[in-house]
Amino acid sequence: MSRAFLLSVSTGDPRLNDPLWARSVLSAAEQAGIDLFVMGRPDARPFDAQVILGWAAAATSRIGIVAAVPAATSHPFHVARALSAVDFLSDGRSGWLPLSGDSPDGMAEDMVAAVRGLWDGWDPDTLIIDKASGRYLDASRVRSTNHEGPFFKVAGPVNAMRPPQGHILLVIDGADPVGAADADIALVSEGQVLPARRRLLKTSVDSDPGATAERFFRGEIDGAHFELNDAMADIALIAERFGPLVDAREGKTLRQRLGLALEEFA
Amino acid sequence: MMTDQSAPQIHLWAFLQGIGHYPSGWRHPQATPAEVFTMDYYRRVGRLAERGRFDAIVFGDQLHSRGAGGRTSERLAMPTLDPVTLLVAMAAVTEHVGLVATISTTYNSPQMLAERLATMDRITGGRAGWNIVTSAYATTAGNFGEEQMPEKSARYANAVSTVAEATRLWQQAEVPIPQGRPVFIQAGQSGDGRDFAARTAEAIFCPAATIDDGIAFRTDLRQRIAAVGRNPDAVRIMPGLSFILAPTEEEALAKDAALLELADLDLCIEYLAESLTVDLSGQDPSAPIPLEHILENTLAPREDIAKVLAGPASKGISLGDFATAYVRTPRGHNVFRGSPEQMADMMIRWVDAGACDGFTMQPAWMPGELELFVDQVVPILQEKGRLRRNYPGKTLRDTLGLGPLEADLAA
Repeated sequence: MSRAFLLSVSTGDPRLNDPLWARSVLSAAEQAGIDLFVMGRPDARPFDAQVILGWAAAATSRIGIVAAVPAATSHPFHVARALSAVDFLSDGRSGWLPLSGDSPDGMAEDMVAAVRGLWDGWDPDTLIIDKASGRYLDASRVRSTNHEGPFFKVAGPVNAMRPPQGHILLVIDGADPVGAADADIALVSEGQVLPARRRLLKTSVDSDPGATAERFFRGEIDGAHFELNDAMADIALIAERFGPLVDAREGKTLRQRLGLALEEFA
Repeated sequence: MMTDQSAPQIHLWAFLQGIGHYPSGWRHPQATPAEVFTMDYYRRVGRLAERGRFDAIVFGDQLHSRGAGGRTSERLAMPTLDPVTLLVAMAAVTEHVGLVATISTTYNSPQMLAERLATMDRITGGRAGWNIVTSAYATTAGNFGEEQMPEKSARYANAVSTVAEATRLWQQAEVPIPQGRPVFIQAGQSGDGRDFAARTAEAIFCPAATIDDGIAFRTDLRQRIAAVGRNPDAVRIMPGLSFILAPTEEEALAKDAALLELADLDLCIEYLAESLTVDLSGQDPSAPIPLEHILENTLAPREDIAKVLAGPASKGISLGDFATAYVRTPRGHNVFRGSPEQMADMMIRWVDAGACDGFTMQPAWMPGELELFVDQVVPILQEKGRLRRNYPGKTLRDTLGLGPLEADLAA
C-alpha cells in the first residue's frame, strides 16, 4: 500500500455542537482535503463528541471524523454501539480518540479493550438477509464478549453490528497517551515516540511545509496535525500551505484512504 | 371541502426503527432490509416524516444483548444501531421534525445522559426528546458489570432522582440549550410507570388495541396528571398504530394476509421467544405451550409472562398455534387494515372520542407503508383540517404545542 501524507486537525470549540457553525467548519475542512477531523472535549459543558459524530456522519461525505471519548464518563457498551452506528452511517469514515483525563490509571486502556471485544463479538459476515430462505443472520457468528477488566465487566454480545472498518480508527494523543500497542494514528509532539501505524507531528500552521515534507520522505513522520484556534482561518492556511503535500485519495473507507489495513478479525 | 379549524389537531409520531413492525416485514418483496445500515435510508425516511408533518421520529432502545435467553434469533430482523446516532444523523438532513431518543436511567449516570441529551438538543437546534425508561430485561445487568437488575420500584425511584439531577445539570450548563432541556416522554404501563409519567412526562407512548383501551388509558393518565397539580391538556398521549394500507379494505386484508404468510412457523416462534425472553428453539411446535419451561427460563418478570400464557396453556393450545396467532397482534398495539379514507376516519374518530391526542405510527414494513401513509392519508387529514400543513415553529416543544417549560417539573 502506498504511504500517504496525512493532514489532521482537532478542535474542542464548544460551537461544534451548533449546527450552523459545525457545518461551515466541517465543510471547509473537507474542501481543504483534510483527512481527519478530531472533535475534542471542550472546556465549556455540555458536550458529547460521540453525538456530534453521528450528526457529522450525515453532514460530510469524505473527511474522517474522530470523537474524543473520555474514559471517566463513558461506558464501553454505550461507546461500542454509538461508534458502530457512526461507522455505518459514514460509510466507514470514523475514528475515536480515547482520553484518560482524570480517570484512574488503566481505565482508558480497559475501555479500549472492552469496546474492541464487543465489536469482535460479531463476525464481518454475520448478516445474511436472505428474504427467500428467511434467514436474517447466522447466529453462530455472534458471541458473548465476557470482557473482565480491572474497570469494566461486559457480558455482551453488543446489540449492534461490527463496524464496516472492523475496528474504527484508533487515534491516540501524545498529550494524554492511552497505552495501546496497536493504535492506528498517534498525534505526537516533537521528539515524542509512540507506537502506532502512523505518526502525525503536532505542529503549527506557521511551520515550514518544505521541512515537514522532507521529514515525511525520510519516514520520520506520516503527516501533520494542527490544533485549531481560529478554526476557519486556520483551515484556510492549512489548505494553502500544506494542502499541496496531499495526494488524491482512493478508497471508500477511512482505512483504505489512509493506506491502513482493515482490522483483522481477532 | 368544509374544514373545521377549531377541531383538535392530530399529532403524528413515526416509530421507524428497523425494517417495520411486522416481524415478517423485512421479507416483503419491496422491503429494503439491508438499507437500514445506510445513511441514504435515514435521509429518505427522515425527510418523508417531515413531508408528512410528523411531530417527531421516535426510536426505542434496549441495552440487553440480542436474542432470547442467550440464543440469538436467526430469522428476526432486529438491527439495533444506536438510536441517538441515527436520530442526530437525521437531524442533519431535516429541519423541523422532532427526534425522540430512548435512554435508560438505570444504566447511564445523570452526567452521561445529561451531556448526551444536551448535545443532542443543541446539534438538532432544539428538536430533542427523551423517552425516559428504566430498562426491563434482566440480561441488561451483565453488560454493565452487575449480577442482577434492581427491582422495578428501585429503578423508578432512581429514575426520579436521575431526572432531577440531569435537570440540575442542564440548568447549570455553560452553553445555552435551545429547549432548556429535552422534551420528557414516557412509555411505562405499570402503576409505577403511570405515576412517574403523571409527574414527569409531556408526552406518553402506550399500546391501545381498541378505542376503549385508548379512552381508559388516557382518562386514567389525565386523572393522575391532574392529581399531581399539572395540566392534563399539556400532555400528549400517543398510542402505537400499526397499519397496512391499500385502495380498498379487501385489498388491504389480502395484503396483510400475504405479509403474515411470510412469517413462517420458525419466525413466529422466534418472535414469541424474543417477546418472552426465553429460548424456544428446542421445543416441539405441535406440543402444548411449555409453560413450566418458559416460566423457569424466562428473563422477564414471571407474573407478566404467566398473565399472557396461563389461559392459552390451560386450553391445551399448541406452541405453534399460539406463536402464529401472537404474530397477528403485535404486543397489544392497534393494527389498522383498510383504505386511506377509512384510516383517516378511524384516526379522527379516536381523537374525537378522547382515546388519544394522536398516534405513534408503526408501519408494518418499511419504507413503502410509510410512503403510502404520507402520500395518501396525510392529505386527507389536512383537507379535513385535522393535520397541520406547516410546522408552527422550530423546536419540538413548539411542534407539540406544549407551551412554556414547566419550571418545577421533576425538581
